Amino acid sequence: MDMFSEVLHLFLSLDNFLAIALGVVIGVVVGSIPGLTATMAVALALPFTFTMEPVAAILLLVGIYKGGMYGGSITAILIRTPGSPASACTLLDGYPMAQQGHAKKALKTALYSSVIADFISNIALIFFAAYLAKIALNFGAPEFFWLICFSLTIIISLASGSMIKGLLAALMGILLSLVGLDEVYGSQRLTFGNYNLMDSISFIPLLIGLFAIPEIIEFYRKKALPHLKAKASGVGMTLAELKRCLKSIIRGSLIGVIIGAIPGTGATAAAFISYSDARRRSPNRDNFGKGEVEGVAAAEAGNNGVAGATMIPLLSLGIPGDVITAIILGAFMVHGLTPGPIMFQENLTLIYALFVGIMFSSLVLLVVGNGAIKYFSLIADIPKSILFPIVLMFCVYGAYAVNNDTFDVWLMLGFGVLGYIFNRAAIPAAPFLIGFILGPMFEDNLRRSLLIGHNDLAIFVRGPITWFFIALTLGSILLAIYRYVAARRQSVSASATQESP
Amino acid sequence: MAGVQKSLLKKVCLAACGGGLAVAMSVSTAHANEWPTGDVRLVVPYAPGGTTDVLSRRVADLLQDELDANVVVENRPGAGSTVATGRLARGGRDAAHTILMASPGHTIGAAIYPDLDYDPVEDFVFLQNLIDIPNVMVVPASSPYDSVEEFVEAAREQNMTFSHSGVGSSIHMSGELFKTLTETNLTAVPFAGSGAALPALLGGDVDVSFENMPTVLSHIRSGDLKALAVTSAERSEHLPDVPTLVEVGDYNLDQFVTTAWFGLIAHESFSEEAQEAMRTALDAVMQREEFVSFADQLGAEPGQVAGEEFKQFIAQEVERWQEVAEQAGISQ
Repeated sequence: MDMFSEVLHLFLSLDNFLAIALGVVIGVVVGSIPGLTATMAVALALPFTFTMEPVAAILLLVGIYKGGMYGGSITAILIRTPGSPASACTLLDGYPMAQQGHAKKALKTALYSSVIADFISNIALIFFAAYLAKIALNFGAPEFFWLICFSLTIIISLASGSMIKGLLAALMGILLSLVGLDEVYGSQRLTFGNYNLMDSISFIPLLIGLFAIPEIIEFYRKKALPHLKAKASGVGMTLAELKRCLKSIIRGSLIGVIIGAIPGTGATAAAFISYSDARRRSPNRDNFGKGEVEGVAAAEAGNNGVAGATMIPLLSLGIPGDVITAIILGAFMVHGLTPGPIMFQENLTLIYALFVGIMFSSLVLLVVGNGAIKYFSLIADIPKSILFPIVLMFCVYGAYAVNNDTFDVWLMLGFGVLGYIFNRAAIPAAPFLIGFILGPMFEDNLRRSLLIGHNDLAIFVRGPITWFFIALTLGSILLAIYRYVAARRQSVSASATQESP
Repeated sequence: MAGVQKSLLKKVCLAACGGGLAVAMSVSTAHANEWPTGDVRLVVPYAPGGTTDVLSRRVADLLQDELDANVVVENRPGAGSTVATGRLARGGRDAAHTILMASPGHTIGAAIYPDLDYDPVEDFVFLQNLIDIPNVMVVPASSPYDSVEEFVEAAREQNMTFSHSGVGSSIHMSGELFKTLTETNLTAVPFAGSGAALPALLGGDVDVSFENMPTVLSHIRSGDLKALAVTSAERSEHLPDVPTLVEVGDYNLDQFVTTAWFGLIAHESFSEEAQEAMRTALDAVMQREEFVSFADQLGAEPGQVAGEEFKQFIAQEVERWQEVAEQAGISQ
């Protein structure tokens, strides 16, 4: 009881509430502006937290993180420009929904699944942190390698329409991801001596170019889009839809939690893995990519499920899983606190106060998100002839803002042309992105495993986690083959009955 | 309708151009003033969030008071730190107001990136080395080795691995330097940052690492990692019982002193008067209580060198890392 009152005493201050609310608002706004990421916002807010109380300081940063994770989906849905990399997956179904006049429904779906996933992620953080941290420590390069293999089988399920085109797109993604410095030997690959390419192709210019620019080109080429029904006044997500998506949301959240707990993977991969998992299981499989509510829900659940869980390795092991948690680690240290096992012994009340605050932040996200939707969804009503020049300006700004470099603007425009060619040739963009994101992870973990194992292949089957993912990978491939054969058989028999008089 | 659209488009474009012009003009007036009355630009050659960024923002805050001028932090990441450094080396209109937070990437970058279009020593003036962060040679708690000697003997007999946070990081180069000096069979295992590298070390997937002190201090204190040595010239206040590699002495380790240093540099044309003003201000910053406690939290020691001495230090570092990179077969 004593502990309880101490925790409440630490948490119940106006500063903490303000910090969370301010953090979430900043996060949503910054996250929704292409090129301004939650990472930048957290980094810029850090100096302001030096003078704050530790709990309020950390909650402010956590609030920005969570708000930013959701905020990215707003522009992804409304103007096909992902505000942050993690929301790239959301636009696959979110933007088509907006085009069909369901902008509000898409935004609400994104919000509700974000909040639910965030909540589940927080629960995992609070109750299973120690357990999940142990899994994370057992998750070495070979285990990672098989997880990525399993995730790569996603491409099969995302290659809607032509399998050949899907694989072609994926290979192009992988090829482009090879650009940059070799991780092991430090040699330059495919940079053509250009220093701007040394760190690999920047992801944000690629995203903006690939998705936003083709829409703009298409508009000015035809002077009108075939689908101009977007209306902000549409209905939100219905209870029946929420029920239908709930399984995908929960599964996506759990995927996010596991991926978040393992340092170094990230929300973008989680969103795509959750999305394809939902697609594989959904009876509405064929509608994915064309404006399926469940697609938006799964993607957002995947990336928001990561947010709470990245705090697990940070708090329990003192290991930051990504740049944002690295900054939050910095904030802890500025206040003389060192996250890790020792903090659980010495500052338990502070940790509990943080937990209460983090739980509370999910609620704040719901309120702030609802408010944001009210105003942001008005964007859907703006005539395209006015909207698109502004979007183009944001595209240029967003690409520039990443590295403060005009090279990235040209890169963005180049990818815009590529995206337009993709559109015309009906090549799906999703496998391209998966190849680009997962390609390097596949290569790095393969090489890392071989280095750790002194070139002995036995390392790839070293324990239960590797066996589990090998089984999943094989199962996923077999399922795809089975479905392909079954579909063929069906179409053959269908055409046979048609032909028979 | 098309006509309306066209004229609207024109208006929007005009408004955008006007806005751009206004911004450009405001920038140029801001830089028209002479040092030290105008704004000072502090370039961080890395993305927001890293040690360099956090340190720079702290220093900018304090420097602002001392100089009585705005100090604006600008992140320009790319190719280690060489994109931003190359840009500074080319000088230009802003060079008189621009300083850059250099770190081991400055000297290592010169060793591993081919065809740099600048000289890492001669193209700059070196203002002040602000902090030095030692690296710690750490092994997992489960490791059978309790001293550097035991480790070296074992690593001469069998193949061992060390983790690092990326090609060309001070952690990587420390490992390569150790390997070269002690003639051991060490293989580098790269990770994307220290956060990703730590689990492999804690879980025993790799045998050793030469991590930055702040990253591993709490794990050493909790007993999850064993510290065999620190890489600085003197023992660290934070780990007084851990010897330096120099103390070990054998296996050529008496030459092993390396730290992650951070310091401010500027273009070679930076005026004498400006250098003087900067050094006085930075001296004052380093005395400030806020700076001392901040450095302490990072596990850092205050920087030792400034001016000409700083420059000599850089020249030696460039030479050393070039040799190590060559021997390790890291791309030139």
